Amino acid sequence: MEKEETVKLISSDGFEFIIDRKAAMVSQFLRNMLTSPGGFAETENGIVRFPEISTTILEKICQYFYWSRQYASGKETEFHIEPELTLELMMAANYLHT
Amino acid sequence: MEGEEREREMEIPEIDSRLAKMCIDTATHSSDAVEKWRMQRRSLQRLPSPLASALLHRLLRRRLLFPSLLEAFKYSVEEVDLSGENTVDAEWMAYLGAFSYLHSLNVAECYRINNPALWPLAGMTSLKQLDLSRCTKVTDAGIKHLLSISQLEKLHLSQTGVTADGIKLLPALRNLSTLDLGGLPVSDLALSSLQGLTNLEYLDVWGSKISDEGAAVLKNFLKLSFLNLSWTNVTKFPNLQSIKCLNMSECAIHSVLEDKSDRVTLKKLIIRGSSFLQAEIVFSTIEPSCLSFLNLSNTSLSYFGFLHRMHALEHLDLSSSAIQDDAVEAISCIGANLRHLNLNNTKVSNAGLETLAGHVPNLEVLSLSHTLIDDFAIAYISMMPSLKELDLSNKNIKGFIRQINNEVEVVSLTALQELKHLERLDLEKTRINDAVVHVLQGSEELSHLSLNSTLLTDKCLEYLSQVKKLVSLSIQGTLLTNAALELFNPSVTLELLDLRGCWLLTIDSLTSFCKKHPRVKVRHDHLFTTSVNHNSSTPNLALLQKGMKASKVKQRDRKSSVSPILFKKEVLDQRIKYGREELISLQHLSPPLVQPLDMDIAATKMN
Repeated sequence: MEKEETVKLISSDGFEFIIDRKAAMVSQFLRNMLTSPGGFAETENGIVRFPEISTTILEKICQYFYWSRQYASGKETEFHIEPELTLELMMAANYLHT
Repeated sequence: MEGEEREREMEIPEIDSRLAKMCIDTATHSSDAVEKWRMQRRSLQRLPSPLASALLHRLLRRRLLFPSLLEAFKYSVEEVDLSGENTVDAEWMAYLGAFSYLHSLNVAECYRINNPALWPLAGMTSLKQLDLSRCTKVTDAGIKHLLSISQLEKLHLSQTGVTADGIKLLPALRNLSTLDLGGLPVSDLALSSLQGLTNLEYLDVWGSKISDEGAAVLKNFLKLSFLNLSWTNVTKFPNLQSIKCLNMSECAIHSVLEDKSDRVTLKKLIIRGSSFLQAEIVFSTIEPSCLSFLNLSNTSLSYFGFLHRMHALEHLDLSSSAIQDDAVEAISCIGANLRHLNLNNTKVSNAGLETLAGHVPNLEVLSLSHTLIDDFAIAYISMMPSLKELDLSNKNIKGFIRQINNEVEVVSLTALQELKHLERLDLEKTRINDAVVHVLQGSEELSHLSLNSTLLTDKCLEYLSQVKKLVSLSIQGTLLTNAALELFNPSVTLELLDLRGCWLLTIDSLTSFCKKHPRVKVRHDHLFTTSVNHNSSTPNLALLQKGMKASKVKQRDRKSSVSPILFKKEVLDQRIKYGREELISLQHLSPPLVQPLDMDIAATKMN
């Protein structure tokens, strides 16, 4: 996969997630950041740091990006969320606007 | 009645993020799920207020909220709406009093709230809005607890046990801008004691003992823009330039302003059911260039000449008034800006509609139920190009006109196809038949349709499949059969199908329809109604049918389904035995279908 096709998301504890750029676009926040015409260093490098989001939550978010794309293309599976994660995940989702 | 005027102040924020919504669903799935997150103190503290509020209110609706769980939201929630919850008592209030950022609290109609229950609210520094309407146990002693909430801006006390003595204490709340004292015995003296509240913008004193003498002090409220004086002894329009919206329904309006040169610059005037001594003079004191909303329903006025001047009118309600065709001319003179016109229950006939046609280019909503109009009026209605909503529920409407010379029937409703913006059409109580429904296919924007003519049969559902933008369809009390429902292929936009009173439909047929079209909410006497709790978001039938687990309410519902099954067999029998006309007459003899369900609902509530 070419570099432009992916983006790197870094959690608060330094863990890196490399995902498809298209999947990241599920988040309105990332879409704006990655497609904005000028300025953001993130737009150039495709690296976004989330000092507020833990690895567990960021992993779940990435899973959601892929699930959401599948769901939109007609594969209607259920996205499982552990009740323990709901509060943190809710906040991250709200922040990422996804 | 007063509620209609009041805008909803508290609205549960809508969450945009789909994932956040899914998280709220999971978090409020069951009490086990709640236990998994309720100890996460740090996360709860950081929760943004709109998310916290959405979570709290969802828990409330799902009956998972209890007093000690409120503590979890202590640092995050700013708005709480518990209106109508009969479990809410002093214990709940003790937790709410400790909320650090609570901005708005609505406990209207929480009948267990009494004076001691208000004690924890004393001294709250964040609280700006408090609604105690219809908490009948709250009296003057309760008011004393509120006086230390210094930032309070909006206070609703309507229909509580507060008396004039309690009202006299309120000036201590210097920041009040909204004060609702509806249904309280506010005396002239008590009203005069409120003069210190100089920030008051909204004052509701309907049903009070206020007279003209007391109302004179209103001129000292320089910011007052909304005033409700309905059901009082006040007879004059208050002489106050700041007032934009005045409600003087059910008053005897006799005299006019003392200074005849002054005019009231109202935007909105509601004088439903009021009587007038000299209507012409009373209305001459209203500045016509400002008034955009006028409600004259239920009045006995016979003179409508004053309407001629009111060119700014956008909303005119003359329902149940004495207006007749000759006065409609006055409406057509000011038709240019008119958007809403209500003529329900009047003696307006085809001739009146003829006068109106062509003079109301911007009219969007027209109500003509229980008027004297018949099918010939529809041609005039079709000359009102902006119409979006039309109420024709009227027994004279057949939907077709029989020509005198030849026997050919012309479908009068065809003319409605001229109305390119028509979205809502009410044809209840009419005598239309299937062939008439057929022409509705030509109304491309039609989204809400109500029909309940007993002449409608299975064929009409077939035609209605072709109405492409239908969102809500009500066909109550018709003789639709299972076969029709089976073949019914609703538009993709359909969300609500109301089949109440279509008593030939069986529960099997209804459930199979629900399964086939899970996004359509179906209402029928056999089905678990959506109104178990009107606040509740859960009884979405589609979800229930999908077999959503866990909800206890649903399990109870399953058990109760025994009674409708018994019914079904009985119904099937009768269909074989009787003809159509007989079935119609039998309908009223049959025992009420809803009863077993109601009993079940009552049982659920008791638990």
